[in-house]
Amino acid sequence: MKVRVNDVELDLAPGTSAIDAVFAAGGDVPYFCSQEYMSPIGACRMCLAQVGAPRKERDGSWVMDEATGQPKIFWFPNLMATCTTQVMEGMVIDTLSERVKTAQNGMVEFTLINHPLDCPVCDKGGACELQDRSYEFGDGLSRFQFDKRHNEKHHPLSDLITLDRERCIQCKRCVRYFEEVPGDEVLDFIERTAHTYIGTADHGLPSNFTGNIADICPVGALLDASSRFRGRNWEYDHTRTTSMDDATGAAIIVDARTGRIERIKAALNPDVNKTWIDDGARFGHEYVDSSDRLTTPLVRRQGKLEPATWDEATAFIAERLKGLSGKDVGIAVRADATLEEGVAAMALAEELGTGQLDHAPRPAATLIGNQTATITDLATADAILVVGDLTEEAGILDLRVKDALKGVTPPTLMPHGVPIADLRLKERMPRRREILAVAAPYRVDLMRHAGTAVHYPAGGEAAFFRALGKLAADANAVLVEADEAATGMSTAQARALVARLGAAKQAVVVLGGLALTRRESAEAARAFIKAVGAKELAVGPMANSYGLELLGVLPSHERYGYAGMLEGSKALILSHLDPAQDGEVAERLRGKDLLVVHDIFMTETAHLADVVLPAASVYERDGTVVNLEGRFLPVRAAPVDAGSSTDLTGVARALGEAMGKRLEGRSVRSARRVLKKRFDIDFAELPDTGLLPRTKGRGPAKALAGEAPAATGNVLVVPSMARAEYLSRNRHLAAAVGGNRLRVNPEDAAKHNLTAGAEVRLKVGGTWRQAVVHVTDGVPRGLMTIPSLPEQPVGLAQADLASIVVEQVRLEVAS
Amino acid sequence: MNETHTHTQTPFFADKQEKLAEILSRYPAEGRRSALMPLLWEVQREERYVSEERMRELAEIVGTTATEVKGVMSFYSTYHDQPVGTFHIQVCSTLSCALAGSDELFDFLSNELGIVNGETTADGRFSLQKVECVGSCGTAPVVQVNDTYFERVGRGRCQHLVDALKQGELPPVWRERGGDTVGAAKAEPLQKPTDVREG
Amino acid sequence: MSDQAATAAKPAPILSRHDPRYEVTMYRYVGVEGAHTLDFYRSHGGYEAARRALTGMTPAQVVDEVKASGLRGRGGAGFPTGVKWSFMAPPDGKPRYLVCNADESEPGSFKDRYILEDDPHQLVEGMIIGAYAMQMTFGFLYVRGEYYLGTTRMEVAIAEARAAGLLGENILGTNFSFDITVHRGAGAYICGEETALMNSLEGLRANPRLKPPFPAAAGMYGRPTTINNVTSLTSAVHIINKGAAWFAGMGTDDSKGTKLYQISGPVKRTGVYEMPMGATFRELIYDFAGGPTMEPKAFIPGGSSTPMFPWEDRFLDMPMDYGTLAKNGSMLGTGGVIVIPRDKCIVDALYNLVRFYAHESCGKCTPCREGVGHWLPRMYQKLVSGLGQPEDIALLESVASNIKGNAFCPLADACIGPVQASLKWFRDEYEYLAANGKSKYPKNDWWQA
Repeated sequence: MKVRVNDVELDLAPGTSAIDAVFAAGGDVPYFCSQEYMSPIGACRMCLAQVGAPRKERDGSWVMDEATGQPKIFWFPNLMATCTTQVMEGMVIDTLSERVKTAQNGMVEFTLINHPLDCPVCDKGGACELQDRSYEFGDGLSRFQFDKRHNEKHHPLSDLITLDRERCIQCKRCVRYFEEVPGDEVLDFIERTAHTYIGTADHGLPSNFTGNIADICPVGALLDASSRFRGRNWEYDHTRTTSMDDATGAAIIVDARTGRIERIKAALNPDVNKTWIDDGARFGHEYVDSSDRLTTPLVRRQGKLEPATWDEATAFIAERLKGLSGKDVGIAVRADATLEEGVAAMALAEELGTGQLDHAPRPAATLIGNQTATITDLATADAILVVGDLTEEAGILDLRVKDALKGVTPPTLMPHGVPIADLRLKERMPRRREILAVAAPYRVDLMRHAGTAVHYPAGGEAAFFRALGKLAADANAVLVEADEAATGMSTAQARALVARLGAAKQAVVVLGGLALTRRESAEAARAFIKAVGAKELAVGPMANSYGLELLGVLPSHERYGYAGMLEGSKALILSHLDPAQDGEVAERLRGKDLLVVHDIFMTETAHLADVVLPAASVYERDGTVVNLEGRFLPVRAAPVDAGSSTDLTGVARALGEAMGKRLEGRSVRSARRVLKKRFDIDFAELPDTGLLPRTKGRGPAKALAGEAPAATGNVLVVPSMARAEYLSRNRHLAAAVGGNRLRVNPEDAAKHNLTAGAEVRLKVGGTWRQAVVHVTDGVPRGLMTIPSLPEQPVGLAQADLASIVVEQVRLEVAS
Repeated sequence: MNETHTHTQTPFFADKQEKLAEILSRYPAEGRRSALMPLLWEVQREERYVSEERMRELAEIVGTTATEVKGVMSFYSTYHDQPVGTFHIQVCSTLSCALAGSDELFDFLSNELGIVNGETTADGRFSLQKVECVGSCGTAPVVQVNDTYFERVGRGRCQHLVDALKQGELPPVWRERGGDTVGAAKAEPLQKPTDVREG
Repeated sequence: MSDQAATAAKPAPILSRHDPRYEVTMYRYVGVEGAHTLDFYRSHGGYEAARRALTGMTPAQVVDEVKASGLRGRGGAGFPTGVKWSFMAPPDGKPRYLVCNADESEPGSFKDRYILEDDPHQLVEGMIIGAYAMQMTFGFLYVRGEYYLGTTRMEVAIAEARAAGLLGENILGTNFSFDITVHRGAGAYICGEETALMNSLEGLRANPRLKPPFPAAAGMYGRPTTINNVTSLTSAVHIINKGAAWFAGMGTDDSKGTKLYQISGPVKRTGVYEMPMGATFRELIYDFAGGPTMEPKAFIPGGSSTPMFPWEDRFLDMPMDYGTLAKNGSMLGTGGVIVIPRDKCIVDALYNLVRFYAHESCGKCTPCREGVGHWLPRMYQKLVSGLGQPEDIALLESVASNIKGNAFCPLADACIGPVQASLKWFRDEYEYLAANGKSKYPKNDWWQA
């Protein structure tokens, strides 16, 4: 479709907005209300331009301009908001005339009359759209002679977001965001006309995705409460990297200043997270700057751990290793180690000649399915079955499921990037709830958006899929009572679900951690997925679960896996793992000949160690991770001051030197040479948005014969957006989510004398857990849920309910 | 993170299920949320305002959030989030009424009742509010007491009205009409044609 | 037939209420005791038009009849009603909605209120006819919240009609089914804008929606919808009863039929008058309303949003039709005439109106929220309180022109038009006030005994 913007001729796809035409032509108009991936609404009136188009005669020919011999341009009488104007064949857009300039200047003036002049103390200063646009399109003078509107300047919308009501320019981005993106309508305009302000009656903004409004606010009205007044935008080092918070691999920008991480913002990855992240990924970083970070190696001398140099520490380890048989050494890394760290761990294992190598947590089932869907497949699916709690486990997938409910395909990128105004998106679009089914043993948030929401018995994933499998095999099959109980559905409901998945052009089944814990449930799930012709997305427990399995950071035999090595090895090298939280395991660790702990804090396990090595946090590493769809994503280190801490490649280098070896994986560069051979990808050149190889190599078919203990228990360990292991150090996030929640049914709460808000300790498995009681009918009677730890992955566990100790009863203020 | 809220008082519609069902039935199934405005009216009629607690209840009934209810409610000028008086006196102040003395009328009421715009008397009997055009321009000035219009309120009538209200009574309504609204037959021209153009 | 012959063959159009051929139709029974009951309405020929349409005409014929009548929307914009009706796509078995806009909130307008209160069945009948013509499955009547009596009367009338088989399944024994829900607003002028009204009906904040999509394509709940003013629908009753030719036999070239004009301000007999389109302001103000009771200086021709005219013969003698007013820089609007006396300071009068728009701006778009909602009323306040400076007038004009044409919906322009007109005709009053710190016309007690 031919369009002219000022003097630039363009050929654009039908449906393109005029504002995107302007930007595609290299032009510019200001805008405040439009926002990538959200509906254009034409509210701020900044993007006004003079727009005209030719007209057709009745016979279909153009009305001609006799003077020029060209089709005559009929100008719209009023200036048009280009964000809500769709291009037409032959349209002419003028953004440079005096009339347009006067209007733009006028709109800047209107926008500023009630905007405070507190830029010098505003966190947004220097990165403020209003500031920039006022310089560019305003005339610098105010003719407004009256008092500006006064309003609250430090309104805590939640523990995470602070609102300055004076700075708000009512662009409605945040209000639309909540309705359109997560579908949590917890923020709205209150009042009308010049009194309009944003506010909530749902205290604390109950949503897992609140932080994004701070990113999209064009002014300094909505601010990340954790970083307020911490620095100016030009003082920050911006590091674009990949979030290691969960398995989705969302793009983030880490802003650090003088060696501290001050805040995390979402970055653009159109195929993964678009421009959104969940609050766990955004606010879950404060622990990194805790004052008790390990900054130097520690070596146990005369029974006491004492500071040492790296040389001393690694010499100590090398010396001890000499006295051991290499095959008796176990090496385990947490499942968010980078591929490069994985190479280092493998090199070390090879050097020692041990098969006791693993990453943890690692589900019993492989994550690398045969029909792995991409995230875009999910976002464009026409039938979706989710098993588990995606909102907590993989927030980005939750949001992309909601994209699918809208039925609008991801926009085609334009020369200037994501379209500014995608006219297919509307406020309050109808959602195709009927395409979504969500199943979990307890009420999960995504169920509010699902046409079918069912509860199956905890631990019953295998039975759930086997029962559905019967209908997949024979549509006329009738579910026996036990099957109906296993699926939480009547035969008719289940039949409808299976039929929908089977008939869909693009069906996707998302397997949350609960469905992967046990081999038999994963197998039943995959058999069902195959039978209905769907694709699968398996949600690994951590950021690089997929990658480490793909790379093969795996035991030579399942009995040499993580659980096995805790028991059977004589020496252990553990990176970011803390198995000693379990008292019985701690006892066993005390008997090891050598225990090396590579971590960022003095964990329970570190206290038992012979050598403690200070580790780089997930924000301080260069490397690569593979997200749950198999996408290789770059991880880049932010400039954080953490003493002599290093990642596992650094450990390999130092330890190798002490052993007189140059190990592969002794540096990120060295590891990447290995990875290049393996994957034929130059990881130093990995684009920001990652690389999704067309053919996905299966992981090495190493023995994965083990099986977790039987699925019984009275506590369900569940995924949580806010990572339990660091929550107490993540001050803002902990306040927002109310601590690690022990969710209890009201009847059970009464039975066990638990009151809402009480801080309790209880023994789950062998591990003492601290939690805050949360009474809700969202969990069934007889079941409690508690957030998972890397060492206590999702699935059923047995808690000793008699062991519950109430440490503090919190007075719950009625909200 | 979204959990159902526990209520601290008896839900408004607990003993009015029939009324609730009737209101919901006015709208098609696809438009459950349309019932929000009539439900707000229902609560306000009885409680003279809508509290945040009630907003949460209504949100649950129509399937949205308390925030959305508050956003909607606050948009419209005749829903109240604070209790108004037993007699909520609203004086139209827009042009036609102003030309008939509504400003002076308002000041009179303000003096009589001892409250200013937007206030409620301490005993909760009266509240006074200036409002915009209520569609009684032909019978200006107009005073709206709760849902009842009192039209062409001259000085005498206003005193009469205020006296009655102070006695706790809503006086009988006088129906004021003009033009054809006295019945077309009566609305013959007052004057001969001043300009009958050629047909 | 030549044009001349055609003209010759047609009787002269009715252009005055003084024309003996003219008869009052829509307002015949307003003010008559007991006229709001079904018995009264039926015993005076009520529901005959509905019967004629439903049993004797196809939907397309009804649309054509209304098209042929030349009826234009009576809500203010004046879009041809029959053409609007013809925009509806053919029925597809899914819901489609007729919405009657009775959110009468324009200052100076009060015509619908009396129909709702005194002749509700006329509106029910109009909605049945409109619904039949467009094959609507359901109707909403949006009544402004303050019209409590009107709302109640309409609810009763609808219940009566339903009981009598005039609404509900198989109306009048035909296979046409239709019913109406009355929806009470809650005080928001913006709901007169049709897309804002739909948002309000859906239980949302009443911000106007983007167009396209137009309501005929995606309106209520995303379904095809047509929104008509009260008197557009009641006009249809009489068009079906008396024929399109009768309706088209009244009025000027671009404006046909009868219309309800309203008059307020200092005149002897304020009120609503049904007159043929093309009658003059003079006829309304002097012959029917009895002329001004105070010395006049201006009049607003069609509700507060329409730019005013000074009290001059050339304007008083204008026919009250769409085209003439547009040509003269104003609008017919709702036909609500407000007479402004000499002693009313024009700046004060405009401050009153600007405050109204400031109060009613929905707050969605910047120029309306900040300009109309905040800046303009403050400028007027400054002027009226005698603190203005001469240069404030130029600033006022500049701010007004920055708003005009740049807002999301017509509300902002509805405020600016009158402001600009007052500056055009009565600039001297602004200048006097700004220069002297007091008004040329300081009268401050308007209350009558």
